[in-house]
Amino acid sequence: MSKDLYLKKILGEERFSLIRGSTVLMVGAGGIGCELLKDLMLTGYGEIHIVDLDTITLSNLNRQFLFRQKDIDKSKALTVVKSVSKFNYFDSKLVPHHGNIMDTSMFPMSWWSQFDYIYNALDNLEARRYVNRMALYLKIPLMESGTTGYEGQVQPIYPYRSECFECQAKVTPTTYPVCTIRSTPSKPVHSITWAKEFLFQQLYDDSTSSATDAEESRKQLEKETDDSAEIEHMLRETNELNDLKSHIAGGADVFLPELVEKIFVRDIERLLEIESLWKHGGRPVPLDWSQLKPQLDSLLLTSTDLVDETKVQTPLENLYVLWKSGEKLVKRVVSGEPVVFDKDDEDTLDFVVAASNLRSHIFGIEVKSKFDIKQIAGNIIPAIATTNAIISGLSVMESLEYYKAKDSQAAFSNSSTVFVSIKPNKYLMGAGLVEQNSSCASCFKVARGVMELPETSGDLKLGELLEGLRQTYDYEDDHYEISIISGDSRLIYDIDFEDNIPCGLDELGIGIGSTLLIQVDEGDLQGLELYISKGKEFKLPQIQLRELPKTISEPEKSEAEVEKDGEVVFDDGVIEIEEIEEIEEIEDIRETATKLSSQEPPTKKQRL
Amino acid sequence: MTSEELSRDEIALYDRQIRLWGIATQLRLRSARLLLINLGSVGMEAVKNLVLGGVNSIELMDNSTIKSEDYGAQFFLPKDDSKIGELKLPNVVDSIKELNDRVEININTKSFDTVIQGDPSYFKKFDLIIATEIQKPDTFKLNELTRELNLPLYIAGTHGMFGYIITDLIDNINETEKDMGNQPRKANTKLNLNKTIIKVESNESTNKELITIHDSYRPIKEIFSSKLLPEQLNKRQLKRLSPSLPLIFALFELQRVSDINAETLKSHALKACEELGVNPDIITDEYLKLFVDQGFTEFAPTSAILGGCLAQDIIQFLSKKESPINNVLIFDGLRSEMPIYTL
Repeated sequence: MSKDLYLKKILGEERFSLIRGSTVLMVGAGGIGCELLKDLMLTGYGEIHIVDLDTITLSNLNRQFLFRQKDIDKSKALTVVKSVSKFNYFDSKLVPHHGNIMDTSMFPMSWWSQFDYIYNALDNLEARRYVNRMALYLKIPLMESGTTGYEGQVQPIYPYRSECFECQAKVTPTTYPVCTIRSTPSKPVHSITWAKEFLFQQLYDDSTSSATDAEESRKQLEKETDDSAEIEHMLRETNELNDLKSHIAGGADVFLPELVEKIFVRDIERLLEIESLWKHGGRPVPLDWSQLKPQLDSLLLTSTDLVDETKVQTPLENLYVLWKSGEKLVKRVVSGEPVVFDKDDEDTLDFVVAASNLRSHIFGIEVKSKFDIKQIAGNIIPAIATTNAIISGLSVMESLEYYKAKDSQAAFSNSSTVFVSIKPNKYLMGAGLVEQNSSCASCFKVARGVMELPETSGDLKLGELLEGLRQTYDYEDDHYEISIISGDSRLIYDIDFEDNIPCGLDELGIGIGSTLLIQVDEGDLQGLELYISKGKEFKLPQIQLRELPKTISEPEKSEAEVEKDGEVVFDDGVIEIEEIEEIEEIEDIRETATKLSSQEPPTKKQRL
Repeated sequence: MTSEELSRDEIALYDRQIRLWGIATQLRLRSARLLLINLGSVGMEAVKNLVLGGVNSIELMDNSTIKSEDYGAQFFLPKDDSKIGELKLPNVVDSIKELNDRVEININTKSFDTVIQGDPSYFKKFDLIIATEIQKPDTFKLNELTRELNLPLYIAGTHGMFGYIITDLIDNINETEKDMGNQPRKANTKLNLNKTIIKVESNESTNKELITIHDSYRPIKEIFSSKLLPEQLNKRQLKRLSPSLPLIFALFELQRVSDINAETLKSHALKACEELGVNPDIITDEYLKLFVDQGFTEFAPTSAILGGCLAQDIIQFLSKKESPINNVLIFDGLRSEMPIYTL
């Protein structure tokens, strides 16, 4: 008997040989990626490309089973490929790429076009959106997936047929009013946000420009509150902090006592003077610095090691941590090293933990352990091996319909979005795929295609491009006026802005890897997004632009509409009796899913 | 491992899961000693997840030799054809140990019969038993023993794109925190035939309820002759019942061979339908053919899904948080369904 006996029995000879001959892309080699790569290889995929820009850390090892302690700090993409060679029983060709999937020079359109299927194993919204767009350009089926703790979901995407990643709005991260953060915090997260986004950034982080114009800051604050005393206080607070920053050069011995006295005593005292803020209680109590200072001094003489990160510290201990981390940060800043907050950079984390706890103490808010604060400040999403294993298995399983028919219509009808949701009577929830949303700006209101251009794009003038567009897409015959906007949101051309017509595209900063959006100024014709790819000569894609419905209907709520008496009409017209609860459950779960996929990763990866 | 606290290194390694299930659960895992009988594809998946999770120890019991078709889904096997025909366990144990050096892995290459007929005190070393890919007579024998010794038992297996988990955890009390609903939950509410809420503590300020659930289990022998299915499903659900339930039960009656006789399987499946009290018409030709082709085969995605559920449920059981599977979970990869029945 042979190694592929079971695969042939399960998939059928024909489908198995399609899979053997298939070239697929897996984006991400982390929690889902490690599991998914194993499943893809054991299902016999012929060629698998693996892209990841990240390196391995200790906290990955509880679930990313292809990495070991000795691999820490190595590239995930390169390491994973070495690791799986032990079980590459079907000799899949594995091609690792250590890089950012959104890098157009490393991954040009021609590179993308080699794939039959794309499997996402990502952890952030930006890259998910990008891959979704690439899949739409090339009409490549895409499997989207995500997990958070015990929950997870997979969503097969058949471009222009089923809902794309953007068809459902994603939940945006919670933001807090400036006044809550700066003047009247009431929860631990407020203190943490203050310490991380305000205090730390103002003091140490020069990567974000904090030197905004005074008038501008005032205007910003006026949008948030009409309490003029509070505005004055906040402006003064920031100014003083900026002044204090210049004292960093004097070293920690000078800087730190001044800092503590200002932010935990003087600022609080002045805040207390604004009576209007304390009508409903919540008055802060300034730090008893004169009493704590001598205690801190003697504690600093001993070498205290606050080992247990899960314990809640006293104000004195927090001052100690603030001092120790402050000393190190000051040294780093003085030496010219750029310092940004990173949850894995102990000095920056300790400073934020201690500062936020001291603030919480002052405002009578619950003080938290370092372990807990790290989660909030570092945006850490809990992750376990089991959910990742389940989701990766489902990711491959749900994609098999595509290989069965190699026809997206049949695959569309037979595939499901699946959610892991543990209940007493079931472990999974499935829902049939939903047609693309007629208000989706990514896949419905805009058509996409690849425009070819020789490397010397300077040869093509904007005027020639305009001419080509008008001819290819019948804009002129139908009396449409068009405008052109580049991928970085610059207006290149419209009826009132014809200055660029004689310019070559290269002069306009447009070349291989750029995108152009062409829209009609009036009327309801689809927009057109063109990705510029390298070709022999200037060539526009043949696309029939559609008229959009005059009134944009509300997005359909789900695959089923609830009617009276629990009678449910499914999209295929079959009427069935169903418990309404179950439909609501699907709704709930879809909501969870949009949350899952919009979660941002830990700060380090936000560079992506 | 006698310390009552987690070390700094453990907290750093297990960071992402401690944030989910807490330090108390991690400590419980660290003291859990498990026995896994038969290390096939689904067994390997479960073991991988449990070793990564940080249990105390796992003893692997398997006397099989490596077959060429094992390479379809058993990723701990060495990529070396010359090993075909050798005992499996000595060839995979190092790869398993590598996953987490804090977990003790032992191997036992005695046969199931030898062990089960030997000294029962062998089983007393363990806190929980998992057996995969075993047939009905062995399941019953093992279950008699686990009942006698008061040990929780998980049975699991796969057939291509299908699979099952059957549990006899004897008796279990667990706590779950839930958001408050429109109506407060009440003690002495039956969630299903075997799950009862016995205590509710509400916390108005966090809008949460701490619910204590009592799960009672029945011996696996009774599951196979259970008449409880029609009681828990409405007519429509019964009509839409996945044929995989009776077909999986039918496969429990057969020898684990590569060629399954369609007629034999069908007659067992029809008998299972009758026993379960469901309409035999649900056994379609399509499903019958799928099970004839896929019975006793292994498929990596199925093993990953089922092995993930199995390990997760074991972790939940050990943590005494969240109510475990009670008592039959079926995975139907064709329909992307995973119902849990109380039989």
